[in-house]
Amino acid sequence: MSVLLDVQELQTRFQVRKGYVYAVNGVSFTLEEGETLAVVGESGCGKSVTMLSLVRLLPPAASIENGKVLLRGEDLLELNLRQLRDVRGGEVGMIFQDPMTSLNPFINIGTQMAEPLVYHRGMSKSDALARSAELLEMVGIPDGEARLRDYPHQFSGGMRQRVMIAMSMSCEPAVLIADEPTTALDVTIQAQIVELVKELRDRSGVAVIWITHDLSVVAGIADRVIVMYAGYIVEEAPVDALFEDPRHPYTIGLMGALPSLTGETGTRLTTIGGSPPDLVDLPDFCPFHLRCPYVIDRCRKENPMLEVVAEASERGHRAACWVDIREVNIESNAGAASS
Amino acid sequence: MTTQEIAVTSEIEVAEASRTNLWRDAVARLAANRLALVAILPIVLLFFIAAFGPYLTPYDFLAQDFTARLVSPSSEHWLGTDELGRDVFSRILYGARTAVSVGLVSTAISLVVGLVMGSLAGYLGGRVDMLVVWLTDVTRSMPALLLAIVINLTLKVPLEAWMEQMYLATKNTFFRQTMWVDLVLVFGALALIQWPGYARLIRGQILSIRSRNYVLAARALGMPTGRILTRYVIPNAMGPLIVAVSAGMGGAMVLESAFSFLGVGVQLPIPSWGKMISDGLRMWQTHPHLLVGPAVMMAVITVSFAWLGDGLNDALNPRQWGG
Repeated sequence: MSVLLDVQELQTRFQVRKGYVYAVNGVSFTLEEGETLAVVGESGCGKSVTMLSLVRLLPPAASIENGKVLLRGEDLLELNLRQLRDVRGGEVGMIFQDPMTSLNPFINIGTQMAEPLVYHRGMSKSDALARSAELLEMVGIPDGEARLRDYPHQFSGGMRQRVMIAMSMSCEPAVLIADEPTTALDVTIQAQIVELVKELRDRSGVAVIWITHDLSVVAGIADRVIVMYAGYIVEEAPVDALFEDPRHPYTIGLMGALPSLTGETGTRLTTIGGSPPDLVDLPDFCPFHLRCPYVIDRCRKENPMLEVVAEASERGHRAACWVDIREVNIESNAGAASS
Repeated sequence: MTTQEIAVTSEIEVAEASRTNLWRDAVARLAANRLALVAILPIVLLFFIAAFGPYLTPYDFLAQDFTARLVSPSSEHWLGTDELGRDVFSRILYGARTAVSVGLVSTAISLVVGLVMGSLAGYLGGRVDMLVVWLTDVTRSMPALLLAIVINLTLKVPLEAWMEQMYLATKNTFFRQTMWVDLVLVFGALALIQWPGYARLIRGQILSIRSRNYVLAARALGMPTGRILTRYVIPNAMGPLIVAVSAGMGGAMVLESAFSFLGVGVQLPIPSWGKMISDGLRMWQTHPHLLVGPAVMMAVITVSFAWLGDGLNDALNPRQWGG
């Protein structure tokens, strides 16, 4: 498979009153054609900012300081606004977290769905509407043609997310970025949305970047997984390798916090003690060391680089940790935040 | 038809309306609000009187009848006459003209100024935003009536002098009508008092809508900025604005009455309800009819605008569309 999206050393920071908050710090990853990449991590670890940086949809206080975002070899960070608009929606579709507020309440669904088709594909309004009706049926909204005249408030949350997916897929993008699309929905609807995206992916061959903090979703949909912490990628692996052989203490912590169907009942889920560091300075230590049960002296002095730790596939299994955690025996990571 | 059937059909009607047009949906909601419907009647009547008042009045509002001064309401003078023997009913009808023109013109001026200032502040942010917010704060920090009095006292004489000069220069009799000076000053003072309210509202609307998810989603779909502004930002800012305008109309009329009451508003001979109230107040114990007519009109119109504004708020509030 060929590389579709190649992100190199992406760095994004926010200007705040006292200086800068470093949200994304030298993130590099690749996405192949038709691949599904999951990005996991807790709130504020830079998942969303990374993805918004790719198409430069950042708030005014944020700036991309460094890096390249090569989509089929073309650097998106070098494009002018007009070219970038063609990429947004045309090449890169996006779905957001909260479907309840992601649709304009004043315009009916049909007009809203037709806009990108008219704008990107140069369709006539009536062709675009006909296509929108097809798309609605494709995402599982029956009677699409009649529902084109409905307004967003006449749809439920799950239906609105289906509409959002239909809109983002309408121009047949090469990449679909889904920023926690199931977080605001209840569990049964979550499963339906995951199934829908899988189905659309398999049918259209779109590459998907799925941002989530829910590892159970990851297991079901992803080919590869990136684990982010404090604006760094701390581990990257094929999905099976990550679940079977996690190499970063943070990944292990995340998995410990995941309820299991097969484990003993009545046992408590482990938590990761403490909270992520303030990102006001680029750290010269491992950003996870205050919460890490495996911490050694070196972690307090040097920030580990992402390095290949196993040959899980041709693209390898990478992790950023000074310790080979397989060699250290630790009961649990509770109480790690002994700062 | 049983009541249940009626309820069902009306629900279907509401559903049908909302299927075709959101504005029609809002109108249906407004029509379902009895208080708002009741309020529309006096407002429509007010505009009708303002437009056709001169053709409806039994007497000229200036005609003085010294044989019938201060008479109580009778079949001849429905609401009696004032000190100078002028028909109160006719003057109230003429006063509607003052009220409506003040309401419309001052609201229009302050709305335009507020829209421009507010959207500039909201879109551009940064220094422009700071400047506009500072201006609104400064304006709002001054008591409205005091500001109106200052404007009236400082600008009236130079403006009249300028009008006189213009008359001498152009021989256009338009510049001889000093009542225009009054109106311009009153409109100007009202607009000056009211624009910060609109500017703040619009700035707040645009700031909040700019950060809405659907704007982000539209940007993520590659929509151009102009399209986003006209289709996503502005329509969503309209609801609260319409409500504010409705309430602002009533507010402007009350303010104008207050100005007239204090002697800085529209000066005689143009009748103004506020002026009539202040004149009537001097002898309300002996001749209550001088006070009651204009005061009741003022109260009815103010309450009507408030109710209509409230009904519009309910009808246009997107938070109530859900479910």
